[in-house]
Amino acid sequence: MPSLLLEIGCEELPASACEEAEVQLRSELAKLGDGSVFVGPRRLVLLVTDLPEREADEWVKGPPEHLREKAAEGFAKKQGVSVDELEVRDGFLGVLVPGRALLDALPERLNEIVRGLAFSKSMRWDDSGLRFARPVRWLCAKLDEQTVEGFGGWSYGHRVTHGEVTIPAAGSYLETLRGADVEPDKDRRGASIRAGLEKLGLADPNERVLAEVVHLAEWPTVLEGRFDERFLSLPRRVVETAMESHQRYFPLEGNRFAFVANGGDPQTVVAGNEAVLEGRLEDASFTFERDVAKGIEGLMEEAARITFVAGAGSYGDKVERLQALVDALGGGDASREAARLSKADQAAELVREFPDLEGHIGAEYARLAGFPEAVCAAVDEQYLPDSAGGPLPVTEAGRVLAAADKIDSLTVAFALGQRPTGSRDPYGLRRAAIGVCRLALEGNLELDTAALAARAHQLLVDQGAELEDDASDVAEFVEERLEGMLDIPVEFVRAARGSGVTELGASARLAEALAAAADTDAFEGAYVAYDRANRLAGKSDGAAKEVDPKLATDEAELALIQAVAGVSPRISAALEAREFDAALAAAAELRAPVDRFFDEVLVMAEDAQVRSNRLRLLLDVRDTVGALGDLAQIPR
Amino acid sequence: MSASNYQEMIASLERYWADYGCVLMQPYHTELAAGTMNPATFLRSLGPDAWKTAYVEPVIRPTDGRYGENPFRFQHYFQYQVLLKPAPEDVLDLYFSSLEALGIDTKKHDVRLVEDDWEQPTLGAWGLGWEIWCDGMEVTQFTYFQQVGGLEIELVPAEITYGLERLAMFLQGKRSALDLEWAPGVRWGDVYRESEREWSIYNFEVAPVDILTRRFEEHEAECRMLLERELPLPAYDQVLKCSHTFNLLDARGAISVTERAAYIGRVRTLARKVAQLYVENIAEPAA
Repeated sequence: MPSLLLEIGCEELPASACEEAEVQLRSELAKLGDGSVFVGPRRLVLLVTDLPEREADEWVKGPPEHLREKAAEGFAKKQGVSVDELEVRDGFLGVLVPGRALLDALPERLNEIVRGLAFSKSMRWDDSGLRFARPVRWLCAKLDEQTVEGFGGWSYGHRVTHGEVTIPAAGSYLETLRGADVEPDKDRRGASIRAGLEKLGLADPNERVLAEVVHLAEWPTVLEGRFDERFLSLPRRVVETAMESHQRYFPLEGNRFAFVANGGDPQTVVAGNEAVLEGRLEDASFTFERDVAKGIEGLMEEAARITFVAGAGSYGDKVERLQALVDALGGGDASREAARLSKADQAAELVREFPDLEGHIGAEYARLAGFPEAVCAAVDEQYLPDSAGGPLPVTEAGRVLAAADKIDSLTVAFALGQRPTGSRDPYGLRRAAIGVCRLALEGNLELDTAALAARAHQLLVDQGAELEDDASDVAEFVEERLEGMLDIPVEFVRAARGSGVTELGASARLAEALAAAADTDAFEGAYVAYDRANRLAGKSDGAAKEVDPKLATDEAELALIQAVAGVSPRISAALEAREFDAALAAAAELRAPVDRFFDEVLVMAEDAQVRSNRLRLLLDVRDTVGALGDLAQIPR
Repeated sequence: MSASNYQEMIASLERYWADYGCVLMQPYHTELAAGTMNPATFLRSLGPDAWKTAYVEPVIRPTDGRYGENPFRFQHYFQYQVLLKPAPEDVLDLYFSSLEALGIDTKKHDVRLVEDDWEQPTLGAWGLGWEIWCDGMEVTQFTYFQQVGGLEIELVPAEITYGLERLAMFLQGKRSALDLEWAPGVRWGDVYRESEREWSIYNFEVAPVDILTRRFEEHEAECRMLLERELPLPAYDQVLKCSHTFNLLDARGAISVTERAAYIGRVRTLARKVAQLYVENIAEPAA
């Protein structure tokens, strides 16, 4: 079977566009046959190795056979055949249109592929009407040795070392391009870069940088450079960020680095890159030294005057709230000192240059000023976790400060009416809320979100912030995140949120305990007791303020009163001790007296006092079991 | 190398682009934060008419000053700006040849095009293109404009902006712009270091906030008046003055984060109105 080549020649495509095109070309390839897709900065390639000679025949269905007299002629005319040529299939007239020969069909088909590629960011460059990630400059298409009509039979090699190259046949495309310093296959480019890095001692390169540089070179070579050792006195992360995000380099041990070039004389290219990196580092050192001259205390004074969020005061105000919140979280001296220093680096020039290193730079400055490592580490870790699966702070003080910072930021945003809506979450509040949950669940940090948010809000009010809102739904927003994080049906999470347990981690554990117990007799018992009491009394008015045993007339009624009185403190104690199964077992004990009560006692007694006393008793049952959660959330 | 010093480098670029057929313009007469803001680029990129130009532009960015003490940061430096409208098909080849004309053997060096999505919110402009790196040094920004002054571009131009200090550092193998040879025996620092020191003091410490705040309002008011009189070119100068005044206020730390967005919005509104009026005027030229 014949082979087909389609090469879309472009000006240098971004890595993201290469990846978007790859996915789409693969689905096009699947429609055509076996073969490969290659993507890279200057070309997107479809290479089909076993293309059928003709397109598949197509059955065009016409009118039903019994309408032959009326409709056959019109249908046949429209299809350009005579009535005699119509066939019958499954009771319908129709015509089998033979598939076109490949060469006839290809120009249209390939054009559709080119025009059909879509990119998240696309542009115009001439009046062709084509939109693409970057300008398309040539289209090459070969069916074996034949050039497809409307396409070229040539390509271009490496931008600098080779010009136009003729492609003799689809089958010799790769070999021709490789002879012109172009490796079209990104996997091969990636493998050669990996091998080059490994030779320099780097076995686990930064994958984000690698994914980009694989599309920054068509003929990659890995080179090694060095920078002056005096820059080793800069914070390591600053040096690495300068290399990775600014230059797409790979940091190696000490003062060495690796990078990927697309050609040139290695010695010249290395010397140039070394000069550029040293320039960047020189610039960073200059900034670093200016910051260090001010010192962390000096920076803190400056930061205290910088606006944190308009309407919610300065970083000085924020630090004051953080100190109160870490106290409320039971943090020790290290976390309080870390809170005091936490925002100093907002005034650092180096943070303006390297915004991703906020926190880290402050920690470095705290270390230089001789603060204890526990304090410095907490400053360093205050923004963790900064992504869904990212690491948590390692130190206790770091976890406390991280939780305080996130709850404060959430409270500020909510109080200013800046809740996230739909997909819009410019302040990353969902991420912050998930971070709070993870600090509780994985970091075992005890926190009562509602109480902390209320504290932060009160402090904002005391500080004279111009707030629009009481931010009372911060805890709800945080707890809602648990629904997607715990591996149990959401109803159990919602049920646990309605419990008397206000501590975030405990609420999550309770939800898990309820879900785990869902099929047990204990759960069934507690659920039935709750449900029967709630159904009858939950919506009725006229319950007494409290149960009066003297008004009880029946034995079953008295038995239930006693049962509630006995079980209630045990449930509270078990919840307090986080022994959720024990709490559930205690609640389940109410089932038998509740069932008996419903069998023997008429709740809606004629005597109003008796009736209201019984309704109260049922509400007590509901609330006693309900300390375990709003079980009505759980469908049975 | 043919571009042995700073002024020779500029002369080589002038020669190269003049030979290609560009109209060589001179720097604009008021402060600009980028060569793009020169009306020869900003306004001429609008409308249906072809246009090729090249010029040196001094760029004024008050917040970037470092008192002449930092080897890479200056509040006043230079760009070489080329606008080719419409973008010719071989525009990248033209660019690579311009490097050769500067004496750069592109086979010896590693020249790469690194994705860059350009956006200038104050001017309601955006485009797609690249940073162009020579051995890791970003020496040029290359952009295909898509929108300018909030208007879709009719005839897509290619904008080539050479960063002259960086290009010269690459050509001369220097690690500090201050050490660049400007002319035989004269360094860049000899020409501009004192200027950097004094202007940094002005930008960061001395520029009078109250006067500048008032001046911004006045330029804005004058711009509106000129728009009413249907004079887009003079009105555009007032947009530029607003923009520069805003940058000075920013350097003085006189603008909070929220105010910042509001100021940028005000300048953008004016820029859009100027762009619209300019395009209307081209469509119906005055008798």
